[in-house]
Amino acid sequence: MTDRLGWAALAIAAALIPFFTSNTYYLYVVISVGLLTIVTAGLNVLVGFTGQTSLGHAGLYAFGAYTAALCVTRAGTSEGVAIAAAVVVTSMVGAAVAAAALRVSGPYLAMVTIAFGLIVEGVLIEWGSLTGGPGGIFNIPKPGLRTHYWTVMLTAALALWLTANLRRSAWGRACLAVKSSEVAAESLGLSAYYVRIAAFTVSAAFAGAAGALFTFLNGYISPDSFTLQTSILFLLALLFGGLGRIAGPVAGSVALTILPELLARLLDYRLILYGSLLLLSIYWLPEGVVGAVSKARRSRPASLEFSRSPVGRGQGEGPEPLLVASEVSLSFGGVMALAGVTLAVNRQRIHAVIGPNGAGKTSLLNVLSGFYAPGRGTIMLDGQSIAGVPPYAVARRGIARTFQTAQVFGDLSVRDNVAVGVAGPRLGSPIPALLATPGSRAREAALQSRALVLLHALGLAELTDEPADSLAAGLRRKLEIARALATEPLLLMLDEPAAGLSPAEIAALDAQLTTLRERGGPAVILVEHHMDLVMAVSDRITVLDYGRVIAEGGPDEIRQNPAVIEAYLGVTT
Amino acid sequence: MYGLVALGYHITWATSRTMNFSQGHAVMVGAVVAYAVFVGLGWPFPLALMLTLVALAGFGALVERVAVRPFFLRASPAWLLATIAVGIIAENVAQLSFGKDARAFPSPLMRKPIMLGSAGFYPQELLVPVVGLLLMGLVQLFYHRTAYGKQLKAVAWNPEAAGLMGINIPRAVMASYALSALLAGVAGVLLAPLLNVSPQMGTIIGLKAFAVAIIGGLSSAPGIVVAGLGYGLVESFTAGYVSTRAREIVGFGLVILVLVVRPWGLLGEKLSRRV
Repeated sequence: MTDRLGWAALAIAAALIPFFTSNTYYLYVVISVGLLTIVTAGLNVLVGFTGQTSLGHAGLYAFGAYTAALCVTRAGTSEGVAIAAAVVVTSMVGAAVAAAALRVSGPYLAMVTIAFGLIVEGVLIEWGSLTGGPGGIFNIPKPGLRTHYWTVMLTAALALWLTANLRRSAWGRACLAVKSSEVAAESLGLSAYYVRIAAFTVSAAFAGAAGALFTFLNGYISPDSFTLQTSILFLLALLFGGLGRIAGPVAGSVALTILPELLARLLDYRLILYGSLLLLSIYWLPEGVVGAVSKARRSRPASLEFSRSPVGRGQGEGPEPLLVASEVSLSFGGVMALAGVTLAVNRQRIHAVIGPNGAGKTSLLNVLSGFYAPGRGTIMLDGQSIAGVPPYAVARRGIARTFQTAQVFGDLSVRDNVAVGVAGPRLGSPIPALLATPGSRAREAALQSRALVLLHALGLAELTDEPADSLAAGLRRKLEIARALATEPLLLMLDEPAAGLSPAEIAALDAQLTTLRERGGPAVILVEHHMDLVMAVSDRITVLDYGRVIAEGGPDEIRQNPAVIEAYLGVTT
Repeated sequence: MYGLVALGYHITWATSRTMNFSQGHAVMVGAVVAYAVFVGLGWPFPLALMLTLVALAGFGALVERVAVRPFFLRASPAWLLATIAVGIIAENVAQLSFGKDARAFPSPLMRKPIMLGSAGFYPQELLVPVVGLLLMGLVQLFYHRTAYGKQLKAVAWNPEAAGLMGINIPRAVMASYALSALLAGVAGVLLAPLLNVSPQMGTIIGLKAFAVAIIGGLSSAPGIVVAGLGYGLVESFTAGYVSTRAREIVGFGLVILVLVVRPWGLLGEKLSRRV
């Protein structure tokens, strides 16, 4: 509730300013704050939610500004049409840049975006016939300052509202999931590349809108306003205000617009000031000045449907195996991690894969789930080949997995972690999510209640609103399993789920796996060292050693098998 | 000449998977310090060069301490922005002490151009690639032939194991930053007579060098050297046949192209994801 009061106070303050001052200078400053807020709100979607840094947003801002200016001066359109055109053009440019640039991430992405910004700046200067060259475009018809004040403030409010909606939707969770663990996100069917492109495009649209409004503020634009320094300023405002926080852009924009105005006399020291501010805010305010803002209010789903089984997808029937991997080989350099492994997993059965350390168990899971492409061999899931298919596509065909070191989405709550799995790749268009349309809200409620059902089933119900970061190791593994089950897989692959668990927790895991099978759940591939658990729950066991299958059979056969005993104990019989 | 600065990115990237986004500012600091000592105070050139190099190594170490070490383990763009911040501060400090205007840096090698037919060039222009290649060779020797160089490589390969073997990792990273800034400083001194010295000179050099590092492959020193030469050639051709501004557009366009086709660079190693 205090959140809402804060927003209301802010809105009232912004609305009252024009009535209390006739000084155009103040209006001008507040409009600048509004423009910066719009850009940084968009940037927040990319940097704060998705974790990718852009140092080229001045280039996108420029696209918006020039598109609007050209619409009005050359095509003679109205202001509204010009702004809409700017948003559309900039989004398209953003999507194109993202499709190329997001093949890389981290510092590489920073470089590509810097390059993009410089190219835009260069083209603005060079292509004089269109852009007016270094001098820019003059005499753009502009609205009165007061009218413009309202336009900018409303747009800024809209921008914040949109990002808040996005953050609460399946899209927002997908962005945070990709930021937190790309590998885990892909194992749930999300394409990290696609999610990042969407985030970049949204942020481009915001930059385009702000650029267009900037044009109508001054009635004059030139390449000087769209340099690398501008891009850095955008990022600085966001970081200072609070990365990933909805209110962050407001706080950062206010600080970074007003501070230099107050210190106008210290113009020579301005860069030192910016630099220090940037350093200090990275040091001491990793979450910005808004870091302490309380969590966004979550809507409780209307009812909990306990009757639904935690396993939703029809598992199919039939005697033929669900997954058949034959002669699968994988080598790293000269080392054969897998040398012709053949494995058949039946529907609704628990199939354990055991072997000494380094036997290739995890490598096998990584190949089956698409993280490594096998050197040779075929993998058929339900009659279709999945060898060499990327992880997110494998996940969409019905394979879910957990990881040896549990990969939970630390920034998200326990419930949201599972909700990412429930939604999986079915994100739809980001536009309804931004607008929080009734359809999008209904879908969201359905996702959340399904997530709750799963959490109840796995005994995590009491932790729904805890951040996943705060969980102990055993609970993280449980959460990972819940999240994997949320995708309604045909095959669930567990990589050492019992490692680090207490005996009581192992017993609980044992019971859960058995229940899952009784209820007609997915087939399970269980990689595990804990022999009691393996022997108790498995229908079949495959033993690997040095990347080869050395034995296969039921628990009793395996217990007696001399090759297995030798591999484990190192004695020759 | 870009190769030399670009190699600085490679050095810190190789040891710590981070880099100084203000490498270009280190070039600028090198040029400015050399100017101040050599022209301003009138010291003899060898002494001025020594002092510049010491100052640069110190600058590199400072960048590491202030902008990289606190964020070394945080997987976020923090170090990237922090190094940019240090660069911004360095630029402003230089501006305050040196003034905004560019100044010419005298060099005996800039007096008479050597004429080759109708085209002439200064000996200084020849000196840049020669010293550059020489230094790159030395860096390679350092990495492959000396114990300390091997330690730095070990840190790059597996920090945990290197730490367990008794290598002081923070110091190794700091050393790599110092070395990287040192190279940038040499580049600054070499370029000063060609480009004129100004506090603003750093940004664009740093960006181009970064472009070169990316094109060549951050993980590959030979790739960077090759890319440095190639980039220089492409630039002069575009500048000669199209226009000076187009030079930058073509250059950075090239980077985007390379990243789209071969994200790991021409000779770099393809990074495989760890699962």
